[in-house]
Amino acid sequence: MGTHGLSQFEIFFTWQNALLWLRATGITLSMAALGCGLGFILASLLVYLRTWPSLLLLPVRLLVVAYVEIFRRIPFLVLIFLVLFGTRAMGLRMELFWVACISVTVMATAFIAEIVRAGYESVHRTQWESAAVMNFGRLRTVLLVVLPQAWTVIVPPAFSYFVMFIKETSLASQVGVYELMQTGKYFNNIGVSPALSFGTTLAIYFALSYPLTRLGWRIERRLKHRFRRPGGDDGLPTTRVLAGV
Amino acid sequence: MHYTFQWGVAFSYLPELLAGAWVTFHLTFIGFWTGLVIAVFLAVGQVYGGPWLRRSISTYVVFFTNTPSLVTAFFIFYGLPEVGILWSPYVCVLVNLILNAAAFLTDAIRGGVASVRKTEMEAAETLGFSMLQKIRYVIVPHVAKVLYAPISNLYIVFILGSALAAIFGVEELTGTAFNIAARTFRSIEIYSITAGIYVIMTVIASTILALVGRWAFRVKARIF
Repeated sequence: MGTHGLSQFEIFFTWQNALLWLRATGITLSMAALGCGLGFILASLLVYLRTWPSLLLLPVRLLVVAYVEIFRRIPFLVLIFLVLFGTRAMGLRMELFWVACISVTVMATAFIAEIVRAGYESVHRTQWESAAVMNFGRLRTVLLVVLPQAWTVIVPPAFSYFVMFIKETSLASQVGVYELMQTGKYFNNIGVSPALSFGTTLAIYFALSYPLTRLGWRIERRLKHRFRRPGGDDGLPTTRVLAGV
Repeated sequence: MHYTFQWGVAFSYLPELLAGAWVTFHLTFIGFWTGLVIAVFLAVGQVYGGPWLRRSISTYVVFFTNTPSLVTAFFIFYGLPEVGILWSPYVCVLVNLILNAAAFLTDAIRGGVASVRKTEMEAAETLGFSMLQKIRYVIVPHVAKVLYAPISNLYIVFILGSALAAIFGVEELTGTAFNIAARTFRSIEIYSITAGIYVIMTVIASTILALVGRWAFRVKARIF
């Protein structure tokens, strides 16, 4: 059936299309990975500044708090458009892929900063104090005392945010990045039925997200089991209640 | 910078944007509460139901928590007309929101119910509590305390997630912003104001939720 004389199956199931889907999967994954990786680095820097006890850095601290609070409360879709038009207005004609990457980074930084901060807070104050007694500087305290204890609290929710961003990047299709969602729309436009085109998109997202979610649970259970700290609560596993920090 | 900001023009569209914000509000409010009611039933089914019920509920939850809501929305919006069901964009987006919210909330609630310790239930048994009393005095206070903060957070997440309704032509906040930006070309200003409205909306929602939580369940929820 169909007006092309070809059935939608003949249009759809070719090895070139398989490559197209593979490429789209790569783009989706690299947007999420690049954005979250950069976001993680920036978030660590922001939290390092935010927890600085000096009064001189109070304005910086306020700025960091404002950044985190504001960008956790803006829809990703609106943020993408802001980044798109913002960079264009500044005269930067970057590729749409990079626009999406910047958007993910901006948002991931805000979200992961909260996770890293929770990690810092999970380390008892006496640990900071004993490091100070040992004459450790701030950077050395963070690197040698706080982070080695905090990472078991930071990694599981950070990982689940990475998985969330894989799904969130589907909104990048709205500015025209050829990731999974946009590829599904393309096939729908050339006459493949929605069940087949969007169904493939759904299946690929699921195939990416589900194993990674399971991996996240495993990591979390491992860390909890191996690094159980005295007095730590054993309530809800954090990654299960997604998006709630 | 080749761009001249014209905030005056953009702000003259504020009433229109606020009308959009109202649509966002009732879309997410209806969607979230319907989803929550469904989720309570599903969570109960998942904890106390038979193997088939449990398996089908967890399949549903796993499916919706692992796929982007944008793609399921496309599926509903373009797929249903193929089988002869014609819904308005608002209904499509609302149904998609309910399906997603119910899945995420089921997952959360089940975790909360599972976190009631066995010894507490046994203690209630010893005191001769009936099932209703157990629910009223043991399960609900415990679950409410554990789940209030994550569920309020999910509400905020769904307010932000409802922005995808714009793609299907619903004139909620983002959709209105799309239209105004397309008419006036003042994109940066309009989207900045839109982002500001979202920030204000979610801060108000968080504040109300935190106050209600403190008053009803004695939960110390952070607003910021």
